[in-house]
Amino acid sequence: MRRAFALPALALATTLALSACSGKATDASGGGGSGGVQVGPGVTEDTITLGAFTDLTGPFKLLSEGVIAGHEMWRADVNAGGGICGRQIEFNIVDHGYSADTAVVKYPQLAPDIAGFIHLLGSPINAAIDPKITEDELTAVALSWSSFILDTPYVIIPGTTYDLEIINGLSYLMEQGMIADGDTVGHVYIDGEYGENGLLGTQYFAEQHNLDLRPVKITSRDTDMSDIVTSLRGAGATAIALTTTPAQTRSVLNTAQGLRYDVPVVGNNPVFDPTVLDLPAPALDNLFIVSSSTTFASDVPKAQEVAQTFNEQYADAPPNSYVPYGYAIGLIWQQILERACENGDLTRAGIQQAFRESDSITTQNLVADLDFSVPGAPATREVYISTPDTNVPGGQRTVTDLFKAPEAETYVAPHQPTN
Amino acid sequence: MSETFSQGPGSGTGSGTAAGTDTATADGDAGTTAARRRNLLSGNRMLRPAAVILLLVVLLALPLYLSASWLRAGEFVMIGAVGAIGLTLLIGQAGQLSLGHAFFLFVGAVSYTVLAPDPGLRGENAELVSLGWPPALALVGAVVICALLGLAFAPISGRVRGIYLAVATLALVFLGFYLGRELVSLTGGTGSGRAPADLSLFGFCFCDERPEDLVVLGVPFGEAERLWYAFLALTVVGYLLARGAVRGRPGRAWRAVRDNEAMASVMGVPLARSRAGVFAISSGYAGLAGAMLVVWFGILKPDESEIGTYGINVSIAFLAMVIVGGLGSIPGAVWGAALVYGLEKVLELTVTSASIFGIVGFTPVLLTQFVYGAAIILVVLFEPGGLAAIGRRLTAALASTTEKGR
Amino acid sequence: MTEFLQLTVSGLGKGAVYALLALGFVIIFKATDVVNFAHGSLVLLGGYVVIATKDILGYAGAAAVGIAAAGLGALLVERLLISQSKLADPISLVLLTIGVDVIITEEIIRRLGVTAPFLGGPLEGAPLRLGNIVVFRPQLIALIVGVVLITAFFLAFRYTGWGVAMRAQAENREATALMGIRSSWVTGSAWLVAGLLAGVAVLFIATQDFSGAGLGRGTHAIALAAFPAAIIGGLDSTGGAVLGGVIVGLTEAYTAGYISFDFSESAIYLVMLLVLVARPVGLFGTRELSRV
Repeated sequence: MRRAFALPALALATTLALSACSGKATDASGGGGSGGVQVGPGVTEDTITLGAFTDLTGPFKLLSEGVIAGHEMWRADVNAGGGICGRQIEFNIVDHGYSADTAVVKYPQLAPDIAGFIHLLGSPINAAIDPKITEDELTAVALSWSSFILDTPYVIIPGTTYDLEIINGLSYLMEQGMIADGDTVGHVYIDGEYGENGLLGTQYFAEQHNLDLRPVKITSRDTDMSDIVTSLRGAGATAIALTTTPAQTRSVLNTAQGLRYDVPVVGNNPVFDPTVLDLPAPALDNLFIVSSSTTFASDVPKAQEVAQTFNEQYADAPPNSYVPYGYAIGLIWQQILERACENGDLTRAGIQQAFRESDSITTQNLVADLDFSVPGAPATREVYISTPDTNVPGGQRTVTDLFKAPEAETYVAPHQPTN
Repeated sequence: MSETFSQGPGSGTGSGTAAGTDTATADGDAGTTAARRRNLLSGNRMLRPAAVILLLVVLLALPLYLSASWLRAGEFVMIGAVGAIGLTLLIGQAGQLSLGHAFFLFVGAVSYTVLAPDPGLRGENAELVSLGWPPALALVGAVVICALLGLAFAPISGRVRGIYLAVATLALVFLGFYLGRELVSLTGGTGSGRAPADLSLFGFCFCDERPEDLVVLGVPFGEAERLWYAFLALTVVGYLLARGAVRGRPGRAWRAVRDNEAMASVMGVPLARSRAGVFAISSGYAGLAGAMLVVWFGILKPDESEIGTYGINVSIAFLAMVIVGGLGSIPGAVWGAALVYGLEKVLELTVTSASIFGIVGFTPVLLTQFVYGAAIILVVLFEPGGLAAIGRRLTAALASTTEKGR
Repeated sequence: MTEFLQLTVSGLGKGAVYALLALGFVIIFKATDVVNFAHGSLVLLGGYVVIATKDILGYAGAAAVGIAAAGLGALLVERLLISQSKLADPISLVLLTIGVDVIITEEIIRRLGVTAPFLGGPLEGAPLRLGNIVVFRPQLIALIVGVVLITAFFLAFRYTGWGVAMRAQAENREATALMGIRSSWVTGSAWLVAGLLAGVAVLFIATQDFSGAGLGRGTHAIALAAFPAAIIGGLDSTGGAVLGGVIVGLTEAYTAGYISFDFSESAIYLVMLLVLVARPVGLFGTRELSRV
């Protein structure tokens, strides 16, 4: 019995003796000022470093690569123009492979060296490191459009949210006469932050228009939607809303066509990618995609410019509508950092302050104009609607200008302050 | 009857699962003479305390040297070790194959979060159930709940055997996956999840308390450093309890039932109770690992698909730890955890490019899976005792060389 | 009524594919006492070979090569690994197959990258209609192929020398060996046949009309659902495997259609647990596994 205590005691004593020479003693934390501008971690005399915590090896590889290509094009432009606040922009891109436990381990390595996140991808990752971000005062663009995450003051959602996308989409269908008050409408949604946020939208719209809503919960890995479409047809649904993956969208459209079940299908921005285009044309015609950002082939001038640069620089890469989005995110950060510079405060707190003061960020219509001054509220309620088209690069043709449905105006998001 | 008796000590069962039985002295190499074995043992007797002290010193001192990322990686390994110890008791000692370990991890995570106070980080959702127990008590509660749930599985674990049990436990993972999505008031739902309370004991919080962090010997002690010690203590306690059980009566009963049910029954071991009991204990360990995991993550988020934090992939990873470590061996389980969870994290922290060896998609996670996949095959084919047996042989070799050197 | 029939048709189509896979589990189990957790990876292997050779050989050729590859893969696992570890007990062998599964699956997923290609071919095309009921081709063909292959298997099992050897082996390995039947031939052929069935199954699974998903992790997950099918029927009952497959297919379809899609996967496993509580060796299983 004695030995049981003697061992740890001896170990502890040795530990204490050893620890005298630890190299991990506190060093004075970064900070201080120069040239009238206060700086914090990630900011030096001549650089500002932004982190990207992203998925280069997992399921969202293509999305991440597109967004990063857009970021890089923005960085080249802004650095060529002399940078921001006299400082060149640098990136620290770290891959988490869409795994939350990887993210937890890598975050402490990344966080001390950056001024903010140019993007942070993946809702499980967001959830896992969210308290840390608040603790570290790191302002971050979340590549997730769920209004649930707006409770964290440090999160930037660069566009509208899933709930508002769906509301606008259904409103568009109603305006086009494809659905009417009192109809039955199905909503296939992925369980989780993404789907549940979309469902909030249909629920609100259904209340407003007395719709009989048939929600169908699925998981991100389900792909066979035939039983679902069969039962929605049985229920007499006149439209289907989707908050799904592209593979699921494809299955819904394919089954609906097989069953000769000809109804409009409206989906959030992630429901589409070019793989959906493999389906025969009539199936595609029923799909409407709602997004607050432009498509790759949009006729918005800035989007065309970005697309052209992309085609020159990445000749082999397929068109990717996340490229203009990545560029737009750069523009958002540019305006926030410029404001922080004007305020003379490039510390993390200063950046957060500048973000909260930004009530009219414009991205030359790559994304709708954004107002970040109300914590908890989506930054915009405007969207574009597009439809699949095999003849345009990227496969998506925009069919409306930016618009905002009346129901989107009245909708109250989960963390939106009510007055 | 004759079928049962043909399964005697000489048959496959004995050599397969019994090989890595329990202690460091169990590896009886038939070729050694009695005299030589005595020498080895005396060598061991001197080496072991020294090795244990050295290991403890290193483990206790690490937070003073390692960065937060590396500490977090080490803590992840300890979570794996606790879970693997539980599973090795079940599979190795009692011969019950379970693929449901991830389910109990999940239940442990949920139990801890529900029992402990709601820190209110994720909104002030009134629907979330929270009992507000002190976190240390919630940790114990999580273990107890998992053990009871494991016991409640007795109608199946006590009766269903072998591969049927493995697939039956697989069902638990799917049910847990479904319930996690449905019971939003407990789990927070897959949408936003919910935050667990920070672990604390007698008012000392194992969390960041910035900016006034505790400073020990010039090193600021934040969450990563503090949790290291909490997890280390839990792992050591789990280790010692398991070792005690294996060396004592329960272990003998488990092994008896594993090796020959009829014989065990004759010897007075209550079969169903023994089988259900070890299942409950194993579940309790998984529950502790789950509670540690949720504290480590700082978020409880039910999986959105069957591959996730509490998915089939996790059950298989634990299985790999146990097999590679050597079925039934407690130190082996720890080594297995170090290989399966540790290798992945080490690679993640050291490999900065998106691919290893320039091969597309060759990620640390993938490389780790290849390594443990291959390790499983090699262990089953060549060294059923796993890392534990290899370790014992090395120690023995080391001891004999020191003997010779004298 | 339309909905019910529609769901039944789709459930039966899927059930046929589950039955093919479950039959593979049972054949292997009868011959070697091993439950092959690597079955999902064999399914992937067959599908991957089809994808890789489709452009050169055309669909029919590629399909044949893919089926052969899955069969060969299974044979190699048996010859190189399972038969080499004669001393290991069934649990260790199960673990061994898990190791094999991890390696093959991860490598194929890595090769596929983010793409999940459809196998396509003549299986896809305009669905057939019977009144209001729509029958997707892969489901119909799966049902026909399933019935044909399963019937052929049962005939072979019953009347050929191979079948007799198989059954003898399952009854009593030592006695079979004494009677001069080469055990390695029986076990090897059992794995081969099971692999071939897996190779056939993937042709249906990785189509737009059947699963909606191309070849990828989802394919592996579908193969996993054949596990409860084999367990429900009883691991050593070939007839049970077929029935188990149908039960799983119908349970999935009806639950998705009438209760909740979300619940359908859990429902399969719940049915399995209920069967196990009532009969710990499945509906038609006979052997108590006293060894394991």
